[in-house]
Amino acid sequence: MSNKPSFWKRIFKRSQDQSNQDSSSNLEMTSESEIKPLDIPSDDPLLTLITTSPGLIEVNKHNIDSPTLDRLRADGVKLVLPLVSQGDLIGLLNLGSRMSEQEYSSDDFHLLNNLATQASPALRVAQLARQQQLEAQERERIIYELQVARLIQETLLPKEIPSSSGWLLDVHWQPAREVGGDFYDFIHLPENRLGILVADVTDKGIPAAMVMATSRSLLREAAERLIEPGKVLAYANDVLHSEIPPKMFVTCLYLVLNLESGEILFSNAGHNPPYLHSKDQVSELIATGMPLGLMPEMDYDQNRATIQPGETLMLSSDGLVEAHNPAYEMFGFPRVQELVRNYEGGDGLIAHLMQNLRTFVGEAYEQEDDITILTIERFEVLDSAVDTYKSVIEKFEGAQVLGEFAIASEPGSERRVAEQVLEVIAPLNLPEERYERLGTAVAEAAMNAMEHGNSFDPKKNVEINVLADEHQVTISITDQGGSSNIPKTTQPDLEAKLDGEQPTRGWGMFLIKNMVDEMNIIQTEDRHTIELLMHYGDGGV
Amino acid sequence: MTQANISTSVRKPNPNYSIIDIQGEVTGFAEDNLMDAFSQASNGKTTRTILLNFTDLEYMNSSGIGLLVTMLIRSQRQKQNLIAFGLSRHYQEIFRLTRLNEAISIYTDESGALAAIPS
Repeated sequence: MSNKPSFWKRIFKRSQDQSNQDSSSNLEMTSESEIKPLDIPSDDPLLTLITTSPGLIEVNKHNIDSPTLDRLRADGVKLVLPLVSQGDLIGLLNLGSRMSEQEYSSDDFHLLNNLATQASPALRVAQLARQQQLEAQERERIIYELQVARLIQETLLPKEIPSSSGWLLDVHWQPAREVGGDFYDFIHLPENRLGILVADVTDKGIPAAMVMATSRSLLREAAERLIEPGKVLAYANDVLHSEIPPKMFVTCLYLVLNLESGEILFSNAGHNPPYLHSKDQVSELIATGMPLGLMPEMDYDQNRATIQPGETLMLSSDGLVEAHNPAYEMFGFPRVQELVRNYEGGDGLIAHLMQNLRTFVGEAYEQEDDITILTIERFEVLDSAVDTYKSVIEKFEGAQVLGEFAIASEPGSERRVAEQVLEVIAPLNLPEERYERLGTAVAEAAMNAMEHGNSFDPKKNVEINVLADEHQVTISITDQGGSSNIPKTTQPDLEAKLDGEQPTRGWGMFLIKNMVDEMNIIQTEDRHTIELLMHYGDGGV
Repeated sequence: MTQANISTSVRKPNPNYSIIDIQGEVTGFAEDNLMDAFSQASNGKTTRTILLNFTDLEYMNSSGIGLLVTMLIRSQRQKQNLIAFGLSRHYQEIFRLTRLNEAISIYTDESGALAAIPS
C-alpha cells in the first residue's frame, strides 16, 4: 500500500510525458498536482458504457457517439479506467500509450482493474473529507459573521443605565442566537430631561447590525438637536428612507421624560406601544406612525402622558410578545398587558415578565428574536427621613409611637434588633405566631439594612421606629444607603437552588414578605426604609 | 457578635444513621460548625440518614436557611436522607414556606424521626 502514491504519480507522469511528446494534444493534466476537471454531459453514452460494462475501457475499441471519448481519443488517451464508488462515477483515470510503445498486456489490465477497486474508495473518502472541510469553513464563516454582528450590536448599546433620584430605570436585553436588530438608547437632554428609545431593525445578522448603527447615530443626533419626539422620528425616517436597503425598516418608540414632573412626550414609529402600570391598572400609550425607512415624508403623532409616583412605564420589543410556546401559541399582547396590570412590585416588572415568559415557552425554548424590555419606575420620593416619618404618622392617624432606637451596623446584631422590637410590642398581646413572624421579619429587614444599606459600617446606624394604632403595628427600619438602589432579587426557588441554578442564599426578602401582612419600601435620596405592617388578628389589643 | 453562637454534637448510635444535635443560632456564622458536623455525621458518606435535632434551636435566619440548602445539596449528592425534628411551630412554618419540608421530612421528636428511618 505504501507504494501507491508513487505508483499514481508514475501513471500521471506517463500521461504527461506522452502529452509532451505529442505537441498537438491538449491533455487535461497540466502538472502532477493540477488536473483540470473533465465535465461529461449527462447524456453521453460513455456513462451508459461505464454502467453496463464495468472495468477498463479501451478507447479505440469502442465506436460509440461519445463527445467525451472523442476528446480523450484526440488527447492521446488509450485506456480509461473508471473509478466507481457505491455505484457513483467519481473519476476517470486516463492512460496514454505505453512508453515501450507495446500494447497493454492482460496483466496490465488485471493490475489496473485492481488499482481501480482499491483507489475508488480512497478517492471517495478524500472527496468527502474535502467536502466536510468546505462545510466547516462555511460554518466558521457564519459564526464569525454572527460574532461581528453581536459585537456591533453590543458596542452600540449604552454602557450604563442612567440613574436619577426618584427614578429606577432598568433594562433587560437578551439577543437571539441569530442576532436580531434590537437596540435601546438614553440621551441626556437639557432641563433635566432624558430621551429614551427602544428600536428594532427588521432582518438579522450583519445587515441588521449595520442599519442599527446608522439608525442609532441618526436618532441620537436628531434627539439632541430637535428634542421633540415627533420631529426626531420624522427626520430619522426621511434620512433612513434614502440610506437603507429596500424592504428593510426600523420600528422605534421614542420618548422624552421630564425627570422633575414625570411628564413624557412620546412618538411611535410602528413599535409596540408602551404600557403604564399604576396600582392594579394598566394603560396603553398610543401614538401612531409608520416604521422608519419605509416611506418618505411621514408625520408622527406626538402625545403626552405623566408617570405618577408609584407608577412604572414598560417599553418592549416584539421578541417578547411574539415568543412561542411548543404548541406554537404566541405570548401575545393581551398576556403581556395582563402581566403588567397584575404586577405587585417586589422583584421588578422585568423579572415578573421574564419569569412568566419562561414558564410559558417551556424548557426546550429556542429564542427566535431579540428581547428588549425597558422599565421606567417612579418612586414615591420624600425629601428626607423626617418626611418619611411624618408620612407614617399621617398614614396612621392616631398612632402611638411605642419605640424609637438605633443600632450600629455590626454583623450578627440583627437578632438584638428583633428582640428589642418584640419587647416594645409585648403589651400589644399579639398572638404567639404573629409575634414570632414579626420577629423574623424585623431581623431579616435589619440584617439587609446593616449589610446592604450600611455595608456593615459601624459608624452607620440602623434606625427603628415602632408605631401602633388600634388595628396594627408598623415597624420602620431605615438605613443610610439610599443613593444605591435596592438590588432586584429573584423569587427563591428551592428546586432551582438544589439544581445549582440559583445561589443557596437569597431567602431574606421572601421571608420578610411572607411573615408580615404588608411590606413597603420607601427610598429617599439617602435612605431606604422598609415598613413592616402586622394586623393584630384574633386576640390582639 | 461576629462569632458563631452555635454548638453541635454528633451521635452515631447505628451505622445507618447519625444525629446532629444543634444548640443555639443557625445563621451565616454557623457554616463551619454545621458543615463539620455534617461531614462527621456522614461517616465518609456511608451513613444513609442524617437527623437534625432542632430541639434547642434558639434562632435561625435566612442565611441559616441557605446553609440548610447547601447541606441538602451535599446530602443529595451523597444519596443521603435528611430528616429534621424538634422544630418549633414557627420554624416549621418557615420550612413549609421555603418548601424545605418537601426535601427534609419533619418530625415532632426524636422517637418519631427514628421510626421513619428506612431500614
